[in-house]
Amino acid sequence: MSELELALVSLGRQLDYPETPDLSGAVRRRLAEGERPRSWRRPLVMALAVLAVVVAAVMAVPQARSTILDWLGIGSVTVRQVEELPKIEGSDLRLGRRVSLAEARRLATFAVRVPTLSGYRHPAVYFRRDVTQVSLLYGSIKEPKLLISEIWAPGAIDKLVTTRTDVELVREGEWRGAWLHGGEHVLYLPGFDRELRLVGNALVVQGSDGVTVRIEADVSKQEAIRILRSLKKGE
Amino acid sequence: MGRPLTEAELVERARRGDQDAYGELVHAYQGIAFRTAYLLTGNAADAEDAAQEGFVKAFYALGRFRPGAELRPWLLRIVANEARNRRRSARRRGTLALRAAAAVPSGGAAPSPETSVLDAERSALLLDALNGLREEERDVVACRYLLELSEEETAETLGVRKGTVKSRLSRALAHLRQRMEVDDV
Repeated sequence: MSELELALVSLGRQLDYPETPDLSGAVRRRLAEGERPRSWRRPLVMALAVLAVVVAAVMAVPQARSTILDWLGIGSVTVRQVEELPKIEGSDLRLGRRVSLAEARRLATFAVRVPTLSGYRHPAVYFRRDVTQVSLLYGSIKEPKLLISEIWAPGAIDKLVTTRTDVELVREGEWRGAWLHGGEHVLYLPGFDRELRLVGNALVVQGSDGVTVRIEADVSKQEAIRILRSLKKGE
Repeated sequence: MGRPLTEAELVERARRGDQDAYGELVHAYQGIAFRTAYLLTGNAADAEDAAQEGFVKAFYALGRFRPGAELRPWLLRIVANEARNRRRSARRRGTLALRAAAAVPSGGAAPSPETSVLDAERSALLLDALNGLREEERDVVACRYLLELSEEETAETLGVRKGTVKSRLSRALAHLRQRMEVDDV
């Protein structure tokens, strides 16, 4: 280690950390009470139960919409409303490396799903190790027609939307989430400051196993849901 | 009296829903988890909230934990994600501070008063420089050096490749050197 590195280690030992709270006790109490993680409970149960009936009307009110979107965490994805989308340079999908479906299933820490609909059964498969994401690409990297991404990592992705993007809450079988359409939004990976890309229509949902699925394509909500319904886990 | 359970045994029990076993794991890692969250948020309340939420999420995610993998970086990654979420929501980042007695080393011969003052000044300068780094550089320095995680653990905790850790550390150290040189003038 260099002198600077040693100085940083020494600095770490001199920092004024607050005393560690009794996390063990607090976590045990929450688990004993059957409490689910807040990001699941608060955004989805509250948002769906309270807002399902009036969501369309409420979403039309900019201030209320902003507040709701600040709550809207869908598994690995947090949807946040911003005044203006950041400027995007390039449109690299950053899917990771091309792998076989069998390899993706071996590498992923969750059960990978693939559409069973005719015409969707043989995607190009990509695996991104750093965020443990499996992507199924239809079309080419340069001209993607449909992209299905599966990820499990709390807080791994931000979606930045403006008032020009319509957000509809979706509840379909085991899936809970939202359909984002009508205006481009930005997908952002926290921890990767330069990883931003524009997205058109997208269905973002979390399954009962905690895996978040994003379906990005220039298709209708009905078609996106038809694809979603056909997803099946492999062996 | 039976032997204490190994970490692997505790994980296996926790995967089957044994909350006491999981509580023991939380107890073992709560210190490093809280410090990680604190370094990322710079705020004790956010750090406590992030660490607690991270541990609860991790319990429900244990089914996806790969047996035989390292538990600590897996837990830290979930806690770090929670911490960064809170940092973004708050749209601010707290600054770190030194202990009042920071200049006194923990072992060896007692330094002279002059040495203590110089060490304290140098630490304060270095901390100022660190607080001024970009978030992605500060995060990687915090994990690798302040928390003394390995490169592999740093990569896992921050959800980036090991190569990314190396390149960010290299840039961060260069920026720190520049800032320290400027401050020395």
